[in-house]
Amino acid sequence: MPKLTIDGKEIEAPAGTNLIEAARRLGIEIPHYCYHPGLSIAGQCRLCMVEIGNNPRPQIACNIQVAEGMVVRTETAKVLATRQSIMEFHLINHPLDCPVCDQAGECWLQIYYMKHGLYEPRMMDEKVHKPKAVPLGPHVILDAERCILCSRCVRFCDEITGTGELGIFQRGDHSEIGLFPGRELSNPYSANVIDICPVGALTDRDFRFAVRVWYLETAKSICPGCSRGCNIEVHYNLRRPHHNQGRRVARLKPRYNREVNRWWICDAGRYGYKFVDDPSRLLLPARRADTQADEVVWEEIIPLVAARLSAYRPEEIGVLASPQMANEDLFLLRRLVDHLGIPNVDFRVPSRASGDEDRILIKADKNPNTRGAELIGLGPRPGGLDARGVLRAARERRIKCLWVLHHDLLLSAWPEEETREALRALDCLIFQGSNANGVSPSAHYVLPSATWVEREGTFANFEGRVQRFWKAVEPVGAALPDWEIIGRIGEALGMGPLPATAEAIFKALAAEVIAFRGLSYRELRDAGKPVASS
Amino acid sequence: MRAPAGVKVQFTGGQLQEVRRLQALYPDKRAALLPVLQLAQAAFGYISLEAEEYVAGLFDLSPAHVHEVVTFYTLFFREPKGRHVVSVCHNLTCHLLGARRVLAYLKERLGVEVGGTTPDGKVTLLSVECLCACEMAPMMQVDDRYEGHLTPELVDRILEGLG
Repeated sequence: MPKLTIDGKEIEAPAGTNLIEAARRLGIEIPHYCYHPGLSIAGQCRLCMVEIGNNPRPQIACNIQVAEGMVVRTETAKVLATRQSIMEFHLINHPLDCPVCDQAGECWLQIYYMKHGLYEPRMMDEKVHKPKAVPLGPHVILDAERCILCSRCVRFCDEITGTGELGIFQRGDHSEIGLFPGRELSNPYSANVIDICPVGALTDRDFRFAVRVWYLETAKSICPGCSRGCNIEVHYNLRRPHHNQGRRVARLKPRYNREVNRWWICDAGRYGYKFVDDPSRLLLPARRADTQADEVVWEEIIPLVAARLSAYRPEEIGVLASPQMANEDLFLLRRLVDHLGIPNVDFRVPSRASGDEDRILIKADKNPNTRGAELIGLGPRPGGLDARGVLRAARERRIKCLWVLHHDLLLSAWPEEETREALRALDCLIFQGSNANGVSPSAHYVLPSATWVEREGTFANFEGRVQRFWKAVEPVGAALPDWEIIGRIGEALGMGPLPATAEAIFKALAAEVIAFRGLSYRELRDAGKPVASS
Repeated sequence: MRAPAGVKVQFTGGQLQEVRRLQALYPDKRAALLPVLQLAQAAFGYISLEAEEYVAGLFDLSPAHVHEVVTFYTLFFREPKGRHVVSVCHNLTCHLLGARRVLAYLKERLGVEVGGTTPDGKVTLLSVECLCACEMAPMMQVDDRYEGHLTPELVDRILEGLG
């Protein structure tokens, strides 16, 4: 490995490492716009100039690789003067409309100008005007005047999605980003160009003007949109609750994980969180007799549900767990099911729409934790019925009590009328989930769950990678994490004290389920760890 | 060479052979984009969006990338142009030696503004930067040839000589 010196500090870096990355390892940030570790080198913005050895002029750090004995200086008077000049160039035609720009607060023009700005502008001429507020597609909107032509978005569409929608048209100071006339930016990953745009040129149609970014807080999380388990950040707003119509979750952003999603997420995942602050959320536990539904407190409904579960013979009960649930929920549920000896357990409910899949990130299985449900063992017990069998048995009144967790059975691949018939025939229907759906209105007991951003836990992705997600916001109403609801019911059924935090449940899970053996909740850290069997 | 209205954006067999010959000259066939666009302009009269998409297909490029090239170069015409293109130099030497008068005379004779095409489709008039022929200033380019030491009489004769 070549050994070199950057700002007087020695470092060894693998051959092929560029100077921006080598400096980053030393904690030295070389300012840049066009360089992105996930894209090819463009050398377009010229901001990453450094001095190398005795070379007469500064050179761009992004396109120079480490070499033995190289001496790099990133903060010399010449480098600083160069940065100032480059910043001046970048801002010649920039509209300086920060007060009305949605990027303000996370804009690299602002950030670098604070450090490297000229502060006394010398431009006296009228700026070149370009198209503003141009929707490029369903998610992305362009302000060509703010663009510094770094070409990250162009390279993303060329190199990551291979769709090539964007280009830089015209030339000189009239150059502008755009689409081929009549086309739109609608590939399934289009909104990533918003993340990689270092300035306010590309902003998010869904997020813009919703909340100022400095009011947002961040929680690390996992996208629940499919079995890939892309690492994300949940950006939520509690400080200005009157903004964004009271919706707490303001946006999801990708979080780098080399093994899973690198820097990207798909648009379906990015905008798939709207159910969290939706009016369809179930706020309070409820019991229903005939057509009358009464909202009750947990202390009242838990013993009732426990009593109903013990009132039937185990073969008369069906439990439909969900691969939307976390490992901690599924593990406690499995314990409860085994405690009662219920044989009719399943988690696989085929959805009506067949899921799309590609070679980038998107998986056909739209559940985040199918692998977890498989490994923990939420399938039918010996002699037990699978999900379809449970519904058939319900129609024949052999199953009398059904506990549905999260699934909207009416949207399954099975004939809707048969499902309705099965639900009608039940003596007792328990629905546990975060939002009202096709099943919840006919449930005798409704148990409101917290969504994944309102709690913590783990999912196992399709490769068996166990990944943690953290709590961002409080559950709405009286909603509780699934594991807590299941735990309370279990305790009411006489299962004794059950682990009462996600971490404690994970510890018990790791001790009991072979695939999870050796995993520790804390040591999963940000990036997760694979289960033993895979 | 104005293409007749509704000309089909489709190279002939011979033209396609030329496209393949040009593409084979370079390690990356994309390098042949400029000469192929010139061929397209000659064949179709100007580079329409349809022509950009057609050429993109010949290079396995996205139309946006062909659009980048076409919009970068001023000698690609994106609107139908006249059978002849007259480009008057307005840079320093020509300016000092009367380019403004030449241009004004041309506008009056042709009845068009800079960038316009005569109603009969014969001439498109442009005003351009230095064409590197200051020794013959004031000068202009008429299609592929340079005309210098321009006077109104000479301009008349040149225009009359255009087919």
